[in-house]
Amino acid sequence: MSSQPPEPESPAPGAPPALPPGPVQAGPYVQLPKSPGLAAFLSFLPGLGQVYNGQIARALVFFFGWVGSIYLTASGHEFPFAFVIPFVFLFNIIDAWKGATAINQRFLGGKEEKATEDTVESPLWGGSLVAIGVLVLLSNMGWLDLDRLAQWWPLLLIAVGGYFIYGSIQKKKAEDATDEPPSIQP
Amino acid sequence: MSRPAFSPEGLTLGISLVAMGVLWTLSNLGQVDLLYTLRTWWPVTLVLWGGLELVDLAIRRAASREP
Repeated sequence: MSSQPPEPESPAPGAPPALPPGPVQAGPYVQLPKSPGLAAFLSFLPGLGQVYNGQIARALVFFFGWVGSIYLTASGHEFPFAFVIPFVFLFNIIDAWKGATAINQRFLGGKEEKATEDTVESPLWGGSLVAIGVLVLLSNMGWLDLDRLAQWWPLLLIAVGGYFIYGSIQKKKAEDATDEPPSIQP
Repeated sequence: MSRPAFSPEGLTLGISLVAMGVLWTLSNLGQVDLLYTLRTWWPVTLVLWGGLELVDLAIRRAASREP
């Protein structure tokens, strides 16, 4: 008389593994909802990676930003739109990657990356959009000659360099403040 | 803090589509020159988007300061 040990219950072949309710624990076999690599690859056509991530508004903004800057460069507005094309293209790839990563982080019940929060919390993005919009609008209305302004473009490098220096100093200060041991009261 | 107060991109897109619809209708009625108007005024969408991003940031910062 031979008795076989009971086999552990296993899901039917082909059935997806049942996930526990609530935050999903990271494990080797958890299927993440989005692939950051695929999102980045799809973004070689600007906006497609955002469509994959389910961010339709962002997808349209990137697509029209890319097409619009190409159209305006081709129609004689090389400055600043020749600079905008690679900016939109690269930013769109990074955004798709980060978007997919953030979705995966939320799926796993974790928090979004600190770097993403830093970028999102900075007024630089909104301020840049307003500044570019005002400059192009003034140019379109004939109140500003962008071609004459083009000779001042290296000031942008100075501004970006200054921003990085400022950020680096602030980061060092924050690290020093964290590392400082609490002072002992006599 | 990281949750947006509203979606600046979505709001910009919605307002832009409404404005586009109004302009296109007016163009069909012969009231405005659609291409000229779009070519001149499209940067307003950038200003609007940037402004909404700044408002969104200000709202979230104010919310994070509340106890």
